Amino acid sequence: MARVYVSTVVNARNDRVWARVRDFNGMPNWHPAIAESRIEGGEAPDKIGCVRDFRLRNGDRIREKLLGLSDYDMFCTYSILESPMGVENYVATLRLTPVTDGDQTFLEWTAEFDCAPERETELVSNIGGGVFQGGFDALKRAFGG
Amino acid sequence: MPHVVRSAILNAPTDVVWNVLRDFNGYDRWHPAIATSTIERAQASDKVGCVRRVKLSDGSELREQLLALSDLEQTCSYCLLDTPIPLFNYVAHVRLLPVTDGDRTFWHWESRFTTRPEDARRLTEMVSEQIYKAGFDAVRAHLKLAA
Repeated sequence: MARVYVSTVVNARNDRVWARVRDFNGMPNWHPAIAESRIEGGEAPDKIGCVRDFRLRNGDRIREKLLGLSDYDMFCTYSILESPMGVENYVATLRLTPVTDGDQTFLEWTAEFDCAPERETELVSNIGGGVFQGGFDALKRAFGG
Repeated sequence: MPHVVRSAILNAPTDVVWNVLRDFNGYDRWHPAIATSTIERAQASDKVGCVRRVKLSDGSELREQLLALSDLEQTCSYCLLDTPIPLFNYVAHVRLLPVTDGDRTFWHWESRFTTRPEDARRLTEMVSEQIYKAGFDAVRAHLKLAA
């Protein structure tokens, strides 16, 4: 099983960062790679089990299911139902933890998945260095570092 | 039950910070509140269950037991056995996580304890500021890191 772990620090309190990322249908509002998103069946985006169908700027379509969301612990866990990436059993978690020393936020974005062995290095690099770090870079810009 | 949580970012890789923190008998080398430290019965300081006897800079003594230590997770847990202050059932957890964006360290330090209601506020403040916050700053100084 392949594993991705990417983490960063954003210069804002965790409640402000969480307000920006908790909306499971809100990726286009903060992640530069996501063009549009909708929740299937008109469900609320914080209803566990809801499915988001979104389109990347490169045209790829991905469907993901919300598995867990906690406003208390500030994490969101989801799985991929359909994607052109060639991954199986993909589960990812975005988690925020306060940095009390300086009112910053520590963000971790992890994923685990199965894939063809020869594609693992490329996928880990694209997901971690591309998608996750790309989101972090956008958040750091939005919150001034 | 008071719950103290403090965390900080250190400008060093987790391996460097962990190398300092994992020595349960080494806090006297960097923490300003701790004057001397010894492990009872000459046990190794990474033997889970070992007890450290610590003399504080004010001369008082306390005993703490190592409950868990993981080099893989870079975590450790310990509890107070004997203490000169009314801090009871004190269990603390130290956890390091890598900040991959910049090869830095997220250091999380938390504890729970019981005490008399009238002491809760003062002791929470003391643990939070004089032990944890001072500890972050002391390790930064020890490793000669910029804040």
